[in-house]
Amino acid sequence: MLWACILLPQLALDAVLRRLPDPARPLALVGGPAQLRTLHAVNAAAAAAGLRAGMRLTAAHALLPEAALVDHDAQAESRWQQFLAAWAYRHSSQVGAQWPGCLLLEVRASFGLLGPWPRIEARLREELTALGFSHRIAMAPTPRAAHVLAGLRDGLSVSNPAAIRELLDRVPVRRARLPDDTGERLHRMGLRDLRSVRALPAGGLRRRFGAALLDHLARLYGEADDALTLYRPPDRFDLRIELGYDVESHTPLLFPLRRMIGDLCTYLSIRDGGVQRFTLRLEQETAHTDVDVGLLAAERAPGLLFELTRSRLERVQLERPVLALRLIAHELPPFVPATRDLFDVRTQQNLPWPQLRERLRARLGDAAVHRVAPTCDPRPERAWRRVDADGGAIAPAPPRPPRPAWLLPRPVPLRDVRLRLVAGPERLESGWWDGEDARRDYYVLETSQGQRAWAFAPPGEQGGWMLHGWFA
Amino acid sequence: MSRDDAVVGVDRDTPGGRPPRAWEVAQRLGLRAANDDVADDLPAYAELHCLSDFSFLRGAASAEALFARAAQCGYEALAITDECSLAGIVRGLEAARATGLRLIVGSEFALSCGLRCVLLIENQAGYVRLCELITRARRAARKGEYRLGRDDLADVLAARAGETGSCGLFVLWLPAELPDAAEARWLQGLFGDRMHLAVELHRDRDDAARLARLLALAAELDIEAVAAGDVHMDVRRRRALQDTMTAIRHNTPLADCGAHLFRNGERHLRTRRALGHIYPHALLEAAVRLARRCTFDLDQIRYAYPAELVPDGHTPASWLRALTEQGMRERWPGGVPANVAAQIDGELALIAELKYEAFFLTVEDIVRYARSRGILCQGRGSSANSAVCFALGITVVNPAESRLLMARFLSRERNEPPDIDVDFEHERREEVLQYVYAKYGRERAALAATVIRYRGKSAVRDVAKAFGLPADQVALLAECYGWGNGEAPMEQRLREAGFDPDNALIARVLAVTEQLREHPRHLSQHVGGFVISDAALSTVVPVENAAMPDRTIIQWDKDDLETMRLLKVDCLALGMLTCIRKAVDLVERHRGYRIDLAQLPPGDAPTYAMIQAADTVGVFQIESRAQMSMLPRLKPKDFYDLVVEVAIVRPGPIQGDMVHPYLRRRQGKEKVTYPSVDIRAILEPTLGIPLFQEQVMELVIHAGYTAEQADGLRRSMAAWRHGGDMEPHRVRIRELMEAKGYSSAFIDQIFEQIKGFGSYGFPQSHAASFAKLVYISCWLKRHEPAAFACALLNAQPMGFYSPSQIVQDARRGRGGRIGIEVRPVDVTCSDWDNTLEGGYVKRGVDDGGQAALRLGLRQVGGLSEAMAQAVLAARVQRPFRDVRDLCLRAGLDERARRALAEAGALQTLAGHRHAARWAVAGIERQRPLFPGSPDEDAVALPAPTAAEDVLSDYRATGLTLRTHPLALLRGQLRQRRLLDSRQLERLPHGRQVRTAGLVTQRQRPATAKGTIFVTIEDEHGMVNLVVWSDLAVRRRKALLGARLLAARGRWERVDGVRHLIASDLADLSHLLGELQTVSRDFH
Repeated sequence: MLWACILLPQLALDAVLRRLPDPARPLALVGGPAQLRTLHAVNAAAAAAGLRAGMRLTAAHALLPEAALVDHDAQAESRWQQFLAAWAYRHSSQVGAQWPGCLLLEVRASFGLLGPWPRIEARLREELTALGFSHRIAMAPTPRAAHVLAGLRDGLSVSNPAAIRELLDRVPVRRARLPDDTGERLHRMGLRDLRSVRALPAGGLRRRFGAALLDHLARLYGEADDALTLYRPPDRFDLRIELGYDVESHTPLLFPLRRMIGDLCTYLSIRDGGVQRFTLRLEQETAHTDVDVGLLAAERAPGLLFELTRSRLERVQLERPVLALRLIAHELPPFVPATRDLFDVRTQQNLPWPQLRERLRARLGDAAVHRVAPTCDPRPERAWRRVDADGGAIAPAPPRPPRPAWLLPRPVPLRDVRLRLVAGPERLESGWWDGEDARRDYYVLETSQGQRAWAFAPPGEQGGWMLHGWFA
Repeated sequence: MSRDDAVVGVDRDTPGGRPPRAWEVAQRLGLRAANDDVADDLPAYAELHCLSDFSFLRGAASAEALFARAAQCGYEALAITDECSLAGIVRGLEAARATGLRLIVGSEFALSCGLRCVLLIENQAGYVRLCELITRARRAARKGEYRLGRDDLADVLAARAGETGSCGLFVLWLPAELPDAAEARWLQGLFGDRMHLAVELHRDRDDAARLARLLALAAELDIEAVAAGDVHMDVRRRRALQDTMTAIRHNTPLADCGAHLFRNGERHLRTRRALGHIYPHALLEAAVRLARRCTFDLDQIRYAYPAELVPDGHTPASWLRALTEQGMRERWPGGVPANVAAQIDGELALIAELKYEAFFLTVEDIVRYARSRGILCQGRGSSANSAVCFALGITVVNPAESRLLMARFLSRERNEPPDIDVDFEHERREEVLQYVYAKYGRERAALAATVIRYRGKSAVRDVAKAFGLPADQVALLAECYGWGNGEAPMEQRLREAGFDPDNALIARVLAVTEQLREHPRHLSQHVGGFVISDAALSTVVPVENAAMPDRTIIQWDKDDLETMRLLKVDCLALGMLTCIRKAVDLVERHRGYRIDLAQLPPGDAPTYAMIQAADTVGVFQIESRAQMSMLPRLKPKDFYDLVVEVAIVRPGPIQGDMVHPYLRRRQGKEKVTYPSVDIRAILEPTLGIPLFQEQVMELVIHAGYTAEQADGLRRSMAAWRHGGDMEPHRVRIRELMEAKGYSSAFIDQIFEQIKGFGSYGFPQSHAASFAKLVYISCWLKRHEPAAFACALLNAQPMGFYSPSQIVQDARRGRGGRIGIEVRPVDVTCSDWDNTLEGGYVKRGVDDGGQAALRLGLRQVGGLSEAMAQAVLAARVQRPFRDVRDLCLRAGLDERARRALAEAGALQTLAGHRHAARWAVAGIERQRPLFPGSPDEDAVALPAPTAAEDVLSDYRATGLTLRTHPLALLRGQLRQRRLLDSRQLERLPHGRQVRTAGLVTQRQRPATAKGTIFVTIEDEHGMVNLVVWSDLAVRRRKALLGARLLAARGRWERVDGVRHLIASDLADLSHLLGELQTVSRDFH
């Protein structure tokens, strides 16, 4: 076997840079607790100005105030490593992604299909560059050797076992990717390359550095096998169909859509699963439009899924021509067929609430269906907010004096010469922090028609009423 | 350059010189005294429930603001009822005196069961009870919190033996939103008819309904209802600040804080007209009636100094005299000079008149204890440098020697408490504190509090968080308030940090920040101010827990104590005293003689020669770069010159532009003249230039001020810093001085200096005490360099210099000062401390025979003292055979083993470092089964190179005894045509030069207008760089980032002071590789 190692020296940084219009602007990733923000990584422009990883944010700021700062996402590295593993899977069926910051590919098996190593290497580099990830690539007979070589010099490839041993012997201990701080400790004992380490008695080494060092060396030199956990593509459905022509209306989309839904259902039935939520992506010249489809329970009936998707699709305004369709399904729970009562008494008018909600959302759009939750804001007009219909539990409202059931969207003048004060004032002075300080005296009033109104006046006054709600 | 360099890095310690706060408050409120005494038909009112800003993060207004407002509204009285605290009550008293409005003392409590009430004090007995109650509640909880149960309240209220009459307290019940009658009945059981129901209406719900309900309840239970305000602020517009404080307290952004915020701004001191509309008049009258029954006045507090120090048969006065006379016999064995005896008589009479004997006796007792335990100490302060204190051994400053002006010793007119701070060895001060606790008991002795207030940086951080800004922006905003900004206006700083000052949100954050600034945040412990009382302290002031275990603090700070006329003794920690004591011990052991610090020969010529050459690394006070650049110009030649030297590099003389005239006169470049013959006596010691605060006071008194007016001036000086008004003084002084015929320029100068002193007054009385330590430390450095360097290393961390710099300086020697041998740390002979080895008995004036300095295990980075002690214990049993023997017998853990190997401390046992690292790595975690576990085959490892060893030395110990890193790089540096510091020394003034060195210090003094001072070091010594602000901006990266800095520029040497005025900088750190260096930046 021959292993290629793709080293990704600045994975987290690249992940941020690739989405920026001008990656040449100085940029730093910032991490650490609020009191001690430090730089996690910096790009070339920032490094040129003297910024370094590990530097205090404030020091960095003193050096280069205009540097763009992005929060470092600790999860990003492993997420993007997985992303790239999926990409690498196209080039090799044996991909390892368990060592941080690098990918391993068995490439000998791919020679027949993809051509000799230089060609594979060139292709890997080309695609990585296009994806926007900096990289170093090396090839060697063992994964560990490839890993070490990639760190030594970009582009090294050695397949001859004798040559690789010779080369490894000359590797400085601190760059041999030895476990933990072993490399540094060996270096400080005056041992500079692997040859001199291997020349030492194994017993003495084991005693000082444990079995891990000897294991590492054996695997590095190919004297023992490296048990890599190989990458497996995730369980998800992702299908893309290029239309081959510009589509500017809905109808021509329906046929490919029916095909894709069919494929999805086939896939689902092979897995014996269903789908609860999926996205139809309409890809356009520079952007795309997502049509999200959510279901109450896992389904896999093609007819139902197609109808649901169609009704959603037809509400989308196609402002730009669609070039491709993509169907992405993440939530693929096991399928549990609904048990039907023998004597099904449900009628169209008697839908259970969740189903009704789904239907309303399908008809009116997600934005039209929502729940109402109280907030802490003292101003009545901000005392509640809309929340997503699927959201979890809603916290109880903070205690407040009685409030009318019907709050007007905005206060309107109340003109009635025969108002009677029922209760009040309740003085509200709050909300200054967002620039909309409210200062009002609220009263409960009875109008000449006998209605109970909730209205306010400027503090200390009893006139110029503004009606804000009605008590039922 | 050069003139302004004297101004670099001014020392800012500020002993003395601040006016009492009460005086400032009176000044401020007096100016505003616009009371509307006009009779009106508004209802009378007294507020009984009001929180000041000492209910931390609840009350939004200071007592001062509250009283000003209450007086303006024509209230009859105002209660300050901070939550379980009397920390703000003295401020209340000061404001009450200034406004003429009566203060009612009280406190608000929330019991653990949820019951809330306010206790108001009727009389002295009630005050004692309240102090006890607060003490009990505070001591039962962590710092800053309290816990009070119903039992505690009942307990404290229970009548005590021999007590007649009432409990002296009234209680206001604060019913919850749904009043619980059971609470009321319980309180009623405890207080009977001293219980009242507080009706607090804030228009935040249906006031009419609430009022009806509470009145019905009051009638049902037969309790009198009174109106109260639950006041949290003086005026309504403080609402934003109060809301923000609430958000900070709950650590929740404002937008999510609704449930905790008050719904409106009604909790302020409302006008009587407004109150009249809200409350039935009967309730307002009830509040006034209750207020009138609270007759307690805080002035009634009786405080007595401990009496036990006086033996039977003596009065405090006679005992003080006896001790003084005993001391006089020791100080002047040949008989007391007549003028000194007269001075002592005068001082004793004044002490007796002001009844301060007990205070002097207490200080004497503490000092005597310290001396008996061999703890070095020294008093300072205006009262300390008196003949009595010299006789009592409180200070070693001989009043005859320091030409002190004694006016400030104590003043009859000012009626000011005596000012004595005692410095102790910093490592042993705790023993002294424990002695005080043990002698008087924890009930009678406690530390004063320090009020920690919001500063710009802490305020903006909390406010920005309350506005919900993300962490990065909070950090950047806080940085805008930090040091690194010189004097750039805030708007510019914000723009540089990427904020838009015109943005509404940022503007709001900044506006609230400005309001929060200076607000108290919490109580902390004073650095060393002890309050000792004859009776239990908790009958005078509540006591609470400090952050340190076994420490208790009283709720008052030093200004409160001053107002309440409680005396405090400042027991401070001073590193240099530790160093001196250790050096004296070392000299005795290795040089065979005991130095008597009081009898050290004055005027030692070699010591002064060393000082004049600015060879002062490590000595007390005059070691900073600013001081060092002054020394060669001022050329101190006697003790008084040292007093001047200590005092001159301070903002007072600098701001008053007194430094250069004084220097010119000293150097004989200018004739010494006096503004008038009359004041020659005042200014003669300082060549006609006033340098000390005392001199300025003497001048204005001479011009015609009374002692009292002069004192007023001194106080205005400090107030001026906070925006106080100096104009009346300026006009008056000008008039008086013009009448005396002084030149206009001189008067202006005096006045500038007065303002300078206002910021950082440095009185001669402190300078004299400091100068004594300066002389002692310099004498030691000059004549016993080994002992001094060793003691200095053992007293670290202190001072300006790193151990590396201290060691280099000691090895190098300079002028007549002998360089000493320093030996590396070695596990077979080093102690924990640095030690001396060898040394010969001193013969005559010969300084030869210095011992060698053996570095101690304390210099080994990462080695704990416990592990080091284990090594020493094992070594005492028998010497170590090899590394294994060491590790097993001393039970060293892995970290300790590695630390020793890294530091090169195993050289003797294992050979070079590579071998030592290999050896320690091979030690099994556990003791082998068989004593002689099989030896390994010997492994031959290559020896480290010289550079590697230097690298390891720095990494492990922060210093090296081998080659200086720059010596290793010298070849490369020479290729770059960079000179070393020894070559620079030989160059004449004005030459263009290039040099490089390790950066050891960066400074940006506030007085230097953006100029940065950098000190670099090479194998021969240090070079001072001056970097003007334009270059600093241009080469920011190199300046702030470089560890090895190269500089090009003009070499200046004037009056023995040498600098390089940089015209360009470059970062050469890459040459250092992995070398870790330390720089002391922007302290």
